Amino acid sequence: MSEEVLCIENLHVSVDGIEIIKGLNLVINKGEVHAIMGRNGAGKSTLANVIMGHPAYEITSGTIHYLGRALEEFEVFERARAGMFLSFQYPVVIPGVQVGTFLRKSVKAVRGDDSLSPRQFRAELREKMSLLEMDRSFLGRYVNDGFSGGEKKRLEILQMLLLQPKLALLDETDSGLDIDALRVIADGINSVTTDAGCLVITHYQRLLNHVQPDFVHVMIDGKIVKTGGSELAGKLEEKGYEWLETAA
Amino acid sequence: MISYLDIAVPPRSVHLWRYTPWKRIHPTKVDEVPTVDEFFFSEGIDFQSSSSDEIARSFIHTVSKKSVFLELIDQITDLNIRASGHMSAGELKIKSSGNSTLIIRLSGEPGWAGLRITGEVEGQLSVVLVNDLAKDAHLLRCDDWKVSRDSKLEFSTLSSGGFLIKSDIRVDLTQPGSSCTGAIASHGHESRHDDHHVEIIHNAGHTNSTLVIHSACGGSSHSVSTGLLTIVKGADGSDAGQVFRNLLLSPKARAEAIPELEVLADDVKAAHGAASAAISPEQIHYLCTRGLSPSQASSLIVEGFLMDAFRNVKNQKVIDVIRTRLLVHLECLVNG
Repeated sequence: MSEEVLCIENLHVSVDGIEIIKGLNLVINKGEVHAIMGRNGAGKSTLANVIMGHPAYEITSGTIHYLGRALEEFEVFERARAGMFLSFQYPVVIPGVQVGTFLRKSVKAVRGDDSLSPRQFRAELREKMSLLEMDRSFLGRYVNDGFSGGEKKRLEILQMLLLQPKLALLDETDSGLDIDALRVIADGINSVTTDAGCLVITHYQRLLNHVQPDFVHVMIDGKIVKTGGSELAGKLEEKGYEWLETAA
Repeated sequence: MISYLDIAVPPRSVHLWRYTPWKRIHPTKVDEVPTVDEFFFSEGIDFQSSSSDEIARSFIHTVSKKSVFLELIDQITDLNIRASGHMSAGELKIKSSGNSTLIIRLSGEPGWAGLRITGEVEGQLSVVLVNDLAKDAHLLRCDDWKVSRDSKLEFSTLSSGGFLIKSDIRVDLTQPGSSCTGAIASHGHESRHDDHHVEIIHNAGHTNSTLVIHSACGGSSHSVSTGLLTIVKGADGSDAGQVFRNLLLSPKARAEAIPELEVLADDVKAAHGAASAAISPEQIHYLCTRGLSPSQASSLIVEGFLMDAFRNVKNQKVIDVIRTRLLVHLECLVNG
């Protein structure tokens, strides 16, 4: 029997009094990859942010359950510690904080104080950085400070690999990546999808050529208007969103 | 040279004394020359120092019983200065050549401490002063640096100790090609008062300077950063910049950031800026999504903000010392 990770029912979300998500339903089970596609402003990033608990977003009605528990019971950091992870579309710069220090503190917070010895942490870090073809010099740099777009996305995926989430939300992780970087990032994503539910927000089929989705959802005006298999992404690439707008 | 008691007490209208007037940082009454204990210096040899017409320097010279000379030639030196007794003072003269590093740790539990540093730099010197004084201490610090032709001074300060701090640092870029990089991080907590005044004078053409002061202001602390950057007439081709930033952590904390420029040459680059802001909610949110509680996130952001003052400092040994001391300081605050 499939293990339900995330269950969203009739979700309505507002920002500054403007309704962005207007009755959204979605269930993600362990091991499933769901892709959400849609035009700019459809509410895709809002969905990811509201799941992760961004304080700017207000749930006006509907429910979100994570591993069977109502999500409103969780503070943001508790969501992370419970296994939720958001790869940001625009990762935030933290000046003066070295990547190595940040990763160590984050892993300690999410996986627990005793989960890894310093030696085990370093070994795991080396292994994941190698997978993502990241240079060791990354660790001495300040978090996202002066990083290129591709470097920021690699760091997001490195965090995901180290934090071992049960639910991974990837908000346009493919944007700004060259072809080689896209392949590397996709390998990173694929390495966590067996044990996690995964929600991939993207504009392009190219990421989905590397990360095979079980379901593709099309979001228009705050609602999922069509769900299909991976072939739906190809159809969208070919025909755009116009043919679905009537349905919306 | 005029004796201390003959020097007029400077009015508060003078830039330097606006926020921490002389009578506030003087250990007793301004017309007194108290008896003070001497600093313990772990390195250096005794020497005869000279006085100054500037009131604070003259005062420290007058009360000091200990003056130490330190010559640095291509070396890394750790200098521990320990202040003891109710009042304590000392003078340090540094002459540096080659590529040298000086780590100064000022510690102890005095009621008042006075430290005067004079330095001459040939080659490259990176010097850091870590203020580890006990939390009730008052500190008066005066630095005077001269940087020679094609030489470079990196001066860094981690100001986390003491209760009332008045620091007056002056750098003279005397000859073409001389440069300095200044970096100061101040952590204001409880009702700590930390006043840093930095004057950099470009006395020759093709001289460069940068100055960054970061103050994290918590509790009911008061942080003051004032600077005067002067480029004299004829010092063309000079490049100077100073940035003061305050991170406001508490509604009761106060911060002043006043960088000033006086440019008398024509063909120069000179810039200054100041900014004060609270911690960004987006930074807190990002760190919380990585499992840090809001208080852990704030601590990490403060730590990063203070370390970021040393972004332009190239000496890795200095950076490592500062980071270690800062972490110890912040952990001590959290754990009492």
